[in-house]
Amino acid sequence: MLVSVHNLVKRYGDLLALDHFNLEVGEGEILGLLGPNGSGKTTTINCILSLLTYDKGAIEVFGKPMAPDAYESKRNIGIVMQNVAVFQELRVDENVDYFCGMYVYDAKIRRRLVDEAIDFVGLGEFRKFYPKKLSGGLLRRLNIACGIAHKPKLIFLDEPTVAVDPQSRNKILEGIRELNRQGATVVYTSHYMEEVEQLCTRIVIMDKGKTLAAGTKEELKAMINDGETISVELYVLRADDVAHIRQMPHVTRAEYADNHLTVHYDGGQHNLLNLLDYLRSRDLSFGRVFSEQPTLNDVFLEITGRQLRD
Amino acid sequence: MHMFCYRLKCLARDRELVFWTLIFPLILATMFHFAFDQLMGRQEAFSPIGVAVVASDSYQQNITFRQALGAISEPGESQLIELTVTDEREAFRLLEDGAVAGVITVGDSVGLTVSQSGIEQSILKAVLDEYAHRYATVTGILRANPAVAGGLIRELRQTRSYTQQISFSSAEPDTTLNFFYALIAMTCLYGGFWGLRNTTDMQADLSPQGARRSAAPTHKLGVVLYDLAAALTISLAEVMVLLAYLMLVLRVSFGNESWYVLLTSLVGCIAGVSLGAFIGTYVRKSEGAKTGILIGTSMTMSFLAGLMIDTMKDMIARKAPVLSYINPAALITDAFYSLYIFESHRRFFLNIGLLLLISSSMCILSFLRLRRDRYASL
Repeated sequence: MLVSVHNLVKRYGDLLALDHFNLEVGEGEILGLLGPNGSGKTTTINCILSLLTYDKGAIEVFGKPMAPDAYESKRNIGIVMQNVAVFQELRVDENVDYFCGMYVYDAKIRRRLVDEAIDFVGLGEFRKFYPKKLSGGLLRRLNIACGIAHKPKLIFLDEPTVAVDPQSRNKILEGIRELNRQGATVVYTSHYMEEVEQLCTRIVIMDKGKTLAAGTKEELKAMINDGETISVELYVLRADDVAHIRQMPHVTRAEYADNHLTVHYDGGQHNLLNLLDYLRSRDLSFGRVFSEQPTLNDVFLEITGRQLRD
Repeated sequence: MHMFCYRLKCLARDRELVFWTLIFPLILATMFHFAFDQLMGRQEAFSPIGVAVVASDSYQQNITFRQALGAISEPGESQLIELTVTDEREAFRLLEDGAVAGVITVGDSVGLTVSQSGIEQSILKAVLDEYAHRYATVTGILRANPAVAGGLIRELRQTRSYTQQISFSSAEPDTTLNFFYALIAMTCLYGGFWGLRNTTDMQADLSPQGARRSAAPTHKLGVVLYDLAAALTISLAEVMVLLAYLMLVLRVSFGNESWYVLLTSLVGCIAGVSLGAFIGTYVRKSEGAKTGILIGTSMTMSFLAGLMIDTMKDMIARKAPVLSYINPAALITDAFYSLYIFESHRRFFLNIGLLLLISSSMCILSFLRLRRDRYASL
């Protein structure tokens, strides 16, 4: 394992931020750390990076205990902070060179790495720009370039796509996949379910400092009761038909409103065919039909609860 | 070198801080220069006061008064009045035209007519009052004891000073210099802005840049030293620019001991950067609040060192001497002053020693806090 976190406890005064939290990150993974605001994702990363003190537990990175002076381990770690961590007074290339220089001392090698990092995030034409001249998306890309220029084996990305336009987001996600293809292990936190679903090979859902569920996206989806959801455009549907549909195999809920029939299933096969056969048998003419598989968002809401959080 | 150079670039390109730490002192120096220049110019431009005397018989007969007026109207450095002896009509015409400040008429007593009140008129009145007072004193003494006449007249002709101006060196005492020295002290202490910025950029709980740097495989002491060296370099460069401006453009004198001037500037900058680092690490407030505290502290120190009132430094030294020994601005100002005024370097090195002691205390205390590698919260 590249990262092992055992029974980590972290308190902020009376608030228990991490409650005997465990985490393992294997080599080559893109691990998604999912959780609502205040669930402890960033605290976990900061503890792993030895930026935060913790009350109890043990952290190992690259098989060695992690500490502020674990310079050998730190040399192979890249971090992309939630807040953009660049200097406004340095140009794009200078920022990347500065942070890369904290890891790589050979100027010749560093020059090559800086060029590669700038090309990698697509900031070639902006390399002489100061950060304040960059848009939000470009600034996020610069933030990433500063974190990965030294070619780390392990990269922590803490919500790197917050407030980023879709084009920049795609560019960033493609970049992360490419880093992973090149051999980097990635720990990725985000609020955006679709990003995590697209990107991550394994997902840990956490809340209130604890792991609630962990596995591949398929494994997580299998953990919840929700199956597919079928929507059918219908102009006429009688109440006894709705009642009959509710009795069909694997149906958990069925509602008819605004000329739309919505049926929720908890599993089963050929649900769509069975439903359409029934409608035809009742001579009910229907329009468009949609079938949706459960998303990670459904899993997340099911596991962490649907009530609003701060 | 990589980290030092980039840190230097980072600080030098911070336009706001460069304004406050370099441009602002240059503007203040220029303002001081013009204010003092005007003051000095006014003193140098003193011209004799025009006065007309009505050439009456009484005036012609009053030899003592004529001699007295003659003495103060003689051309030269001590000429006080420009005398015009004329008839009454012409005298009052000159007064009406503003060609003279007053008209003196001599009868049983000496009279002064003026058309307005002002400094020149007040001086004329004071001169005539003094004459009347002395005349009354002398005639009183002579009436009572005519035998002392010869000695009294000799005594009156001598101008004796009971105080003596002593210089500790060949330098001319100049009260305006303290303002410029206090200004340099203020600029040195403004180096604290760089120290403050360093601590913000270094600590993971104060800035994301600090977090990124803390996560890097670089020893904290190394980061602290590189940053400190860059802050010191830029602060010293700014003080050098100010010194060059003062010496070469405004012609402010610092004596002839350039190396000691450089040493004072260097130690002053160390004190300034240390002060900023100390406030940055120990004041647990927002960055704006810290900046406010730094400005307040350095301005108060500079004020007590005589930035606004030239007698302030001496007053503090007499009334609260301890304050003079712990105020870096007062120590820097006094170091420059003692370099300029004293032949001996004893007082200069006392100031430098105290400055180094204060700076090293602040530096050590700051490092003890900065070396902390992990934080309770970010």
